Amino acid sequence: MSIPDYMQCAEDHQTVLVVVQPVGIVPEDQFFRIYKRIASVRQLSIRDSQRLLFIRYRHHYLPENNEWGDFQTHRKVVGLIAVTTCSSSRDWPHTADRFHAQKEVYSSTLYDSRLLVFGLQGEIAEQSRPDMVFYPSFEECSDVERRVEDFVESIFIVLESKRLDRATDKSGDKIPLLCVPFEKKDFVGLDTDSRHYKKRSQGRMRKHVGDLCLQAGMLQDALVHYHMAVELLRAVNDFLWLGGALEGLCSASVIFHYPGGTAGKAAGCKPSVCQPADAGKRHRPGGSQNVVDFCSGYAINDVSKRRSQTFSPFMSKDEICEEIKELTQERQQLSEEEKIQRYSILSELYELIGFHRKSAFFKRVAAMQCVAPTISEPGWRACYKLLLETLPGYSLSLDPKDFSKGTHRGWAAVQMRLLHELVYASRRMGNPALSVRHLSFLLQTMLDFLSDQEKKEVTQSLENYTSKCPGGMEIITLPDGLTLPPVPFTKLPIVRSVKLLNLPVSLQPHKLKGVLEGNLSNASPFIYSPILMQSRGEERCKKIDFQWVQGDVCEVQLMVYNPMPYELRVENMGLLTSGVEFESLPAALFLPAESGLYPVTLVGVPRTAGNITVNGYHTSVFGVSSDCLLEDLVGVKASGCLVEVIPSLPRLQLSTSLPRSTHSSQATSKEELPSSVSVQLFNGELQQLTITLENIGSIDIETLELTSKNNNKGKNNKSCSVCVCCCSFFSFILSKRPLSTESVHQSDSKTLEAVLKFKYSGGAGKVEGYYRELSLGVHVNVEPSLFFTRVSTLPATSTRQCHLLLDIFNPTEHELTVSAKNNQDLVLHASECQRMAIQVDRFDFESLPQAGQQTPHLSSPKQLEEERQLAHGCQISSKLGICWSIISFRHGEASVEGVLNQLVLEHLQLAPLQWDVLLNGKPCDCDVVAECIVGDAVTLEVKLTNLSKNTVGPLALMVVPFQDYQNGVQNYDMDEAVTFIGSNIFCISTVKARDSSVCEGALMFLYTGDFYLNIRFQDDSARRGLPLAWFTLPSVHIRALDISTIKFF
Amino acid sequence: MAVCIAVIAKENYPLYIRSVATQNELKFHYTVHTSLDVVEEKISSVGKALGDQRELYLGLLYPTEDYKMFRKLHNSFTDVMCNPFYNPGDPIQSKAFNGVVSGMMVQTG
Repeated sequence: MSIPDYMQCAEDHQTVLVVVQPVGIVPEDQFFRIYKRIASVRQLSIRDSQRLLFIRYRHHYLPENNEWGDFQTHRKVVGLIAVTTCSSSRDWPHTADRFHAQKEVYSSTLYDSRLLVFGLQGEIAEQSRPDMVFYPSFEECSDVERRVEDFVESIFIVLESKRLDRATDKSGDKIPLLCVPFEKKDFVGLDTDSRHYKKRSQGRMRKHVGDLCLQAGMLQDALVHYHMAVELLRAVNDFLWLGGALEGLCSASVIFHYPGGTAGKAAGCKPSVCQPADAGKRHRPGGSQNVVDFCSGYAINDVSKRRSQTFSPFMSKDEICEEIKELTQERQQLSEEEKIQRYSILSELYELIGFHRKSAFFKRVAAMQCVAPTISEPGWRACYKLLLETLPGYSLSLDPKDFSKGTHRGWAAVQMRLLHELVYASRRMGNPALSVRHLSFLLQTMLDFLSDQEKKEVTQSLENYTSKCPGGMEIITLPDGLTLPPVPFTKLPIVRSVKLLNLPVSLQPHKLKGVLEGNLSNASPFIYSPILMQSRGEERCKKIDFQWVQGDVCEVQLMVYNPMPYELRVENMGLLTSGVEFESLPAALFLPAESGLYPVTLVGVPRTAGNITVNGYHTSVFGVSSDCLLEDLVGVKASGCLVEVIPSLPRLQLSTSLPRSTHSSQATSKEELPSSVSVQLFNGELQQLTITLENIGSIDIETLELTSKNNNKGKNNKSCSVCVCCCSFFSFILSKRPLSTESVHQSDSKTLEAVLKFKYSGGAGKVEGYYRELSLGVHVNVEPSLFFTRVSTLPATSTRQCHLLLDIFNPTEHELTVSAKNNQDLVLHASECQRMAIQVDRFDFESLPQAGQQTPHLSSPKQLEEERQLAHGCQISSKLGICWSIISFRHGEASVEGVLNQLVLEHLQLAPLQWDVLLNGKPCDCDVVAECIVGDAVTLEVKLTNLSKNTVGPLALMVVPFQDYQNGVQNYDMDEAVTFIGSNIFCISTVKARDSSVCEGALMFLYTGDFYLNIRFQDDSARRGLPLAWFTLPSVHIRALDISTIKFF
Repeated sequence: MAVCIAVIAKENYPLYIRSVATQNELKFHYTVHTSLDVVEEKISSVGKALGDQRELYLGLLYPTEDYKMFRKLHNSFTDVMCNPFYNPGDPIQSKAFNGVVSGMMVQTG
């Protein structure tokens, strides 16, 4: 049984083997110090020639290997240096015996030996013996090297003599047959005289001589001998020895061509070298023939290894492959350790020729061998180390980044197996952190290849491990310097899109316009430039065009899904940001199995102002916390991650006395209103709305501004009014907000909308020019309360009054009570129509403020007219004060504005020429009966007040008295009853605008009775072109009484 | 005779792998994986020798003429590639291809 020595290389063929061994008790460190000094004599040039002798030292060499010395002389121990200590001469014989015993072991091959004795002094030391050197101690041995050189020289002499002895062709003599150990018994009883036998002996001897020549430094001779040996041995089919000869030939060629040695093969390789290549080729048959020889396992192992190592630059990989294959043929029962060694060597060889996968395979086999069940103490550490070395062969790197892009690299099934083994090995090594890392790596990179069952198993074991040792994001460094980068679980859950959300509308900051423009004008002197815009657009593409506010909760929405076949628990999920101090508020979520896209909102609060970048998110899944950066994620739609955070602003909360309506008013309203109040009102009803504003932030509100905007969608919007009155009771810290009243008058329109906007600002944000806007939508649904179907007028008895007749219709389903100023209530049933008469004073529209002056932009006369009519209507409505109420719970006003036509208006209007008739200085009107005494003169005064813009007159008035018998007969023949004092015709000269004129006359009643005075215009010419209504004078009713009657009364 | 048939993508991962003995699948995985070394070697040597990569057929790695299976397999593979619903690089999940492969295995094995 022999042990292969995998360390050998081609150069070893030319060395002579010297064994250095301790004898007796020698301290190990001392021995190795001496050994090193001895070993420093590696080569020796022989004094009288150009030759070099190379020496190979071993401190341990199996005698079994020595038996192969005939086959290859470099395996033969030719020299022995024994190191020993001997303190006293008493021990000396014993020591000497030991030395001799040691010599006996190698005696068959030994050329020479030396004993280095340390510590012995005295007469024995004085004796000069050729094979022994005495030193007083390990320190005083300066000439060890020289002694070794002497020793080597003596070996050379023996070697040279042997060579010469064997080289000389003694054809007559019988050449002894050289054998390898296992052959010996085969040749018993063989015919030694046969030609075949002789040839074989000859060939083997040639080879042996070649070996000797090579060792002795005679390269050329060695080549010649080897060639001859090859010829001879081939003829006799002695494959083992033929292989040996070829190997020797190769070695010689290599030594010849690479005097520098083959250790650094790539460096020394010259492409033009053809001889070694040839040799290699020739070598091959020899090699394969070796295989035929079943018993030569030892030699083959060794040889193939060396061969492939040496010739890797020259041989095609196929051939080497064949060579290595031979190595793998296992013929002997090897110990576990040897197996490991063998597999490692195999792996190395494959690595050498670039077969990384095969190399990895064998390394893995070696690793598995380390922990084979037959081994009592499994070497998990070694196994793990070897497994790590196999990673490149399986195109596995432990950096998950390599797997995040593109298709999966490598052979997933095999990689998974390897990772499982790594996990197991690291666990058995007692390093749970490592196994967690490997297991997370397995889960992250192989997720697509794991079956559902496997996923479950892997996660379960991961959870088991992490319960003892939670996984983190730190880099694990192994003792041998290998670093394991962290494994973020970017696939648990898978994130599909990342979207930064704007603040809710009510909290969005707005920039004051003035500040913004200042910035823009600095950027470019041009108002518009397409090129500039483009570049700016690119720059902006990552920056999002809204702002976050310091101190306010900001949201990022992730669309995630769970690829696992069971519920996934993600804990501590938060945002990773940079640029601004950010307080992330982690969330925990449960994702159902194989969930579809699932929105997750991560929130946080920026604590300082500036530009914030959302870099990623962190999670904790199965006890492994991971930081996932967005840039590492595949297939993520991110619409930009950079947002400006502006300084903090106050926050205002709004509450209303009426319930909020959640439904957004209608699609037509462009801006989304965060809240709106919806009210249903009957036309003309009044509803009070109390809005309470509360500062819920920590920042004082410094300014508050209220604006309102109406959106009328009715057909008729002329009669809508939203009046907001604020009586502000306002403190800076907390503001209790006032009442705001809103009254709506609407005739026809169905809906009415208004938006109240509160702009407020404060704190650092105000300094930067930001404000916030809170808006409240008011949505009013108007239902008709009452309709005026017809309006007409009737003149009243007084010229200054008239009757307004309104046909009122009740469109509601309730009973409606209508009341007007100083009028009776009118009760209307549902869908009932009734007429209501209201006596009203006529209106003096001229005294109204001129609408045209207030709104100068309404230039067209039509508009002016409309405006005026509106004003008139308003006035009339307020005068009328028509109110309605629906039994006890709703009440409101009604307006006639819309229904008044021009004719009615004219009737209602006070004429511009006002006539006053005074009897005895008392004004008399239609209903008033003026009393006078018969026989007394009654003064009659007619006063004209001209309120029109033009001069009027001159006019002539004739007073005609008459009596009305109340039966339709009027008696105008009053000459006997009434007499005029003076003329019965009054003349009024021209009356200028806004002037008045009075004319007086007198008359006397001769009898008692009721008389009427009809005042008529004499001549029509002056009043031509003016409306008739202007010239209606009140009729005067006079009751003439007897004086006695008065007294009686 | 065929015990394992695999189709490998050029990025070095299996598009299809199927073996007769399911209980020993991993072993075949390893075998196929390690044999890729030889393929790689061939590819690199072809590139060096001809200077261009036009010749994509590497020849037979092992004399399988006895069984005439390459042509059959390759034809079937071409059919898979012609399927407009197949994305190059995805694992092969074709019934027809599967049938051809199992035919080869059954007939010989």
